[in-house]
Amino acid sequence: MLVDWLSLGSIYALLAVGFVIIFKSTQVLNFAHGALAALGAFLVASMATILQIPGRWMGSAPVWLKWTSSALVALAAAALIGLILERLFIRPMLGEGLFSVAIVTLGLDIVIRTVSNDFMGTNPRPLGFPGGTASLDLGWVVIPWNVVVSVIVTLVAVVLIATFFLSRTGVAMRATAFDQEAARAQGINVGRIFSLAWAIGSVMAAVAGIFLSVFPRRSTGVDTATAFLAFAAFPAIILGGLDSIVGAVVGGYAIGLAQAAVTEFLSNNPSFAFLGSGFGGVVPYVLMLLVLLIKPYGLFGTEEIRRV
Amino acid sequence: MRGRPLLVTNYADDQAMLKSTTQTVMAGLFLLFLVCIPLFAPGAIGGGESRIPGPTFLAGADWLKLLSELGIFAMAALGLNILSGLAGQVSLGHAFFMGLGAYTAAVLGSGPGALWGVGLPIWVWLPMAGLIPAAVGIVISPTAVRVRGLYLAIVTLGLVFIGEYVWRNLDFITGGSQSGRNFPALQVRLWREEEALLDLEASGTWLGFLNLSGEGKFYLFILALTVLFVIVAKNIQRSRVGRAFQAIRDRDVAAEIMGVDEFRYKTLAFAISSFYAGVAGALLAVEVGRTIPEQWDLLLSVEIIAIVLIGGAGSISGVLMGSAFVVLLPRLVQDFGNLLQQSAASGGVLATIFDPILSTGPGDFGVVNLSPGVAPGLGILQLNTLIYGLLIIAFLIFEPLGLYGVWVRIRNYWKGWPFTY
Amino acid sequence: MRTILKLVTLVTVLAMVLAACGGGDDGPDDTTAETTAETTAETTAETTAETTAETTAETMADTTVAGGEAPSGDIATDVGVDLEAGTITIGMLSDLTGPFGPLVTAIVAGAEAYWADVNANGGINGLTVNLEVRDTAYDIPTHVQFYEELRTQVAAFGHSTGSPHTVAINPQLQEDGILAIPLTWYSGWTDPAINANLMHHGVPYCIESMNLIEYVVNERGGTTIAIASLPGDYGLDSAAGAVIAAEELGLEVVYDGTGQLNPTDESTFTSVSNGIAESGAEIVFVTATPSVFASVYGQALQGGFEATWTGAGPSWNVAFVAPDSAIRDAIARDFVGNAYTDVWDGASQGAQEATALMGDAEPTDNYNEGIVESTILHQALLRAYENGDMTQQGILDAAKSLEAVSFNGLAPDESYTGDANAQLQRTGNIFVPNLDAVTGTEVVAANYVSDLAENYDFTEACYTLE
Repeated sequence: MLVDWLSLGSIYALLAVGFVIIFKSTQVLNFAHGALAALGAFLVASMATILQIPGRWMGSAPVWLKWTSSALVALAAAALIGLILERLFIRPMLGEGLFSVAIVTLGLDIVIRTVSNDFMGTNPRPLGFPGGTASLDLGWVVIPWNVVVSVIVTLVAVVLIATFFLSRTGVAMRATAFDQEAARAQGINVGRIFSLAWAIGSVMAAVAGIFLSVFPRRSTGVDTATAFLAFAAFPAIILGGLDSIVGAVVGGYAIGLAQAAVTEFLSNNPSFAFLGSGFGGVVPYVLMLLVLLIKPYGLFGTEEIRRV
Repeated sequence: MRGRPLLVTNYADDQAMLKSTTQTVMAGLFLLFLVCIPLFAPGAIGGGESRIPGPTFLAGADWLKLLSELGIFAMAALGLNILSGLAGQVSLGHAFFMGLGAYTAAVLGSGPGALWGVGLPIWVWLPMAGLIPAAVGIVISPTAVRVRGLYLAIVTLGLVFIGEYVWRNLDFITGGSQSGRNFPALQVRLWREEEALLDLEASGTWLGFLNLSGEGKFYLFILALTVLFVIVAKNIQRSRVGRAFQAIRDRDVAAEIMGVDEFRYKTLAFAISSFYAGVAGALLAVEVGRTIPEQWDLLLSVEIIAIVLIGGAGSISGVLMGSAFVVLLPRLVQDFGNLLQQSAASGGVLATIFDPILSTGPGDFGVVNLSPGVAPGLGILQLNTLIYGLLIIAFLIFEPLGLYGVWVRIRNYWKGWPFTY
Repeated sequence: MRTILKLVTLVTVLAMVLAACGGGDDGPDDTTAETTAETTAETTAETTAETTAETTAETMADTTVAGGEAPSGDIATDVGVDLEAGTITIGMLSDLTGPFGPLVTAIVAGAEAYWADVNANGGINGLTVNLEVRDTAYDIPTHVQFYEELRTQVAAFGHSTGSPHTVAINPQLQEDGILAIPLTWYSGWTDPAINANLMHHGVPYCIESMNLIEYVVNERGGTTIAIASLPGDYGLDSAAGAVIAAEELGLEVVYDGTGQLNPTDESTFTSVSNGIAESGAEIVFVTATPSVFASVYGQALQGGFEATWTGAGPSWNVAFVAPDSAIRDAIARDFVGNAYTDVWDGASQGAQEATALMGDAEPTDNYNEGIVESTILHQALLRAYENGDMTQQGILDAAKSLEAVSFNGLAPDESYTGDANAQLQRTGNIFVPNLDAVTGTEVVAANYVSDLAENYDFTEACYTLE
């Protein structure tokens, strides 16, 4: 259960953080996040296994180094794709209503999935993650190295991003989120902030996509269903509040814990079999509904001030 | 004063459904055309060779099915239009209510068997397919009214996922995941008697001279219901309730100050939209004949949203245009693909023109692929999905008023023609 | 008052419209035959008799009939067979982009190669066979929609992917009198109550489970079994067979996750793999899609669980043993599977021919299924031609009059005579992963029939699809 919690929690947290970055600085509710995650994982799979960039020029370097550099190349590509998508589809919507932009991302989700699925083909694509099935044996628990790495990456990423939000650009980002026009009046390049947010957001999505498609979650790699699995991260985002980085991490691990615990509990207690299959999967949504009933803006979200 | 289309002298005229004689005549003629479509088929009247002139292909069984589906999707979208277009409440949960309506219909309308079924006639199950979702909509609405904006979108998204879980596990009602259940045939009975008064799915003669295919009858039934639903939606829109919805959409706090009971009207909007969704869901299931729980998923919700947005949110004629667009487009792309394929096989002109984007074999790279599984490139179904996604984006970016906006612009252009103003 | 008046007017107008339509001008009709299937079905015999009389003579002249003699009379046709153009159109309802995409894409490629070969060698007595492939993405409404589109264009359906999907179009198939070959191995297809328009082939999931479990018990041993599956006919039919096998062989079922897996809900993978690992079963039977199977396997493996794993044919995918697969070595050790046909480059004559046919296509075992189903259809078309009746109904009747079809060892021969029990296919090919083989698999027991399957008395489908 611990393993299940940590791996699920990290994935949810990573997805949620990427999502919140985009929302916090551009006010875009990005329904295409799952598609970006799957696309990122597919990029990694292509770079690391099929194209072997830059591994093919690295001679006899150790496997993990080759893989990591491939992953970095793929993440750079993901950032570039995020930039392009933002420029093409999101920038023209600047100043439009929040909901219109959200629906644009729904369309974007369809477009990205269709195109990346076509490149991916119908067979699952292994990522060639060097961690393989090896595990860390702590005596009282055995944790796969992949999960250990995912937790470390999540924590490092969150610390980096939290620090970044304190920097000058980070403040500009928050100002943009608060009021695009006012930010522009203060000399902030709103367009650049948008680009930056989408680039970081897609990279975070891609990182989550990697952990979503390696052992022990998906042993065969990324496939056409991966994009849908990421929808389960929405409750984490809502739980923490749409615009809170800390909330996203707490929400991610909390939802992961709830799901892992309920799943574990149900598989040990046959008397609850009447709940049927897949109850663990809807626990996040049920939890989300309950939290929103009590706190309509999530646990850490900023309350909207209602004015006429 | 009569006959001047834009001159309105009283409030009733301003609120009229059809504002001018031209509009009335055009709408009447269009309806006449729609009613006559199944009669274009050979032998529709009095048997034998006779048929009224018109596009024969439209009267083919597959097109009639497609047109029926158009009507059903229009009904569902009309419901969402009331909730999102009029009352401004964003909902991704429409698929859930459609599923609820479908399974209500299945339980009430199917005869008893291995799965639950009561075997009641259509005049019970069809209204109930709307009323039960409406009741559930009212039960759920306190949560939905409490959260607003994007949070509401995600709450309703959760509804779809929870709904899918419920459908998968209520296998005594839904037949279970990936196996599904059959739906009652569209037959009109007084009560549970053996012989149906009217069978809307079997080919045969009506009124002694109208020889209609089953699809034709089904189509006429759907057409009648769609017209009814349009009239009701239009009346909601131009009544006190509709104005209250619009006030809430434009600024909820302001509406409340003016004396609009926000909670009551939001709940009402949810109930009405769920009623529409439920009836449409039931008819969709009946039309397909068999559905699995996985059918009522997020993509269905997105499809309905796409109809409303592509058509133009808040406009009823927009919804109708949007449904036509979203439902017919895949078929048109498919037909065009077939045309290309034939052309490619015989070395025709079309294939030569489209050669750069066409992939015909393993060695030929192109965006569009005519031999799926063999050559690279997008298959026709994928191409459809891609076009559909791009259109949602394109309409939002370039024409937020949707097809309705395009239509208004064309109309205004010709109104003043040849003068620009 | 005004509104009532308006309503009355509207009703009157509508009534007049209907009357006008009724009395409408009787324009001459020149496109009678092709538009609707129903109307043509009855009238074809007469209409085609005259039109084809002149054309058949020419088309027949330069062709020879394989097997039987060329029918000297006329050939009746209605939909999908065009004697003038010399073509037969066959519909394919395929899942190219859905959960079984990898499998079905290869099957379609196999069918395309088969018919290309047939066409190159004279076709069906000079008639070229064209395939109309439609991607249903394993979605029932899409499946039904494409059926509606194709029923007025094709002579028969070369395959129809998915059992609930096929069940959904079955009433329509029967009404239209069209033949379809189900691309699913549901055990109910031999049941005469539902297969009036379907041609079953291959060992059904339920019997396949018996073969697999008996083989595993005999070869690898074990007294406890854990069973899990997807919901739907595929998983439930397969799991039903596993339960029967466990009972007959005296295995203890220590975990039952029948129908518990859901491909779009990851939590179900975890819950099932927890259950399996904790049960400590020696044999694990999981029927799922490949990526679900691999995830369940991977998560159980991570907890240090080891057992012999097996499951229905479509659970396996060559990606399991791809060089970059994390579970490559482990699954090569643990897995036993069943193939409905011989494998790529297999030992049988049929497999050799099939491999030659596919030429330099990327090797996979799945082309063979496409060749097998096309062979059945090929026989049906030849028989229909001999009978001189290539209408949709004629092809269906011809197919149903086939007594047996042989595949030269590519797949076990099919019999279509006798009762459901006699027609039931019980033969499969047991394979294990082989990291050195081209397609990653190696047949260890060809044409395998377990004692359980041999003695199984089929009365109804193991799982009833309502």
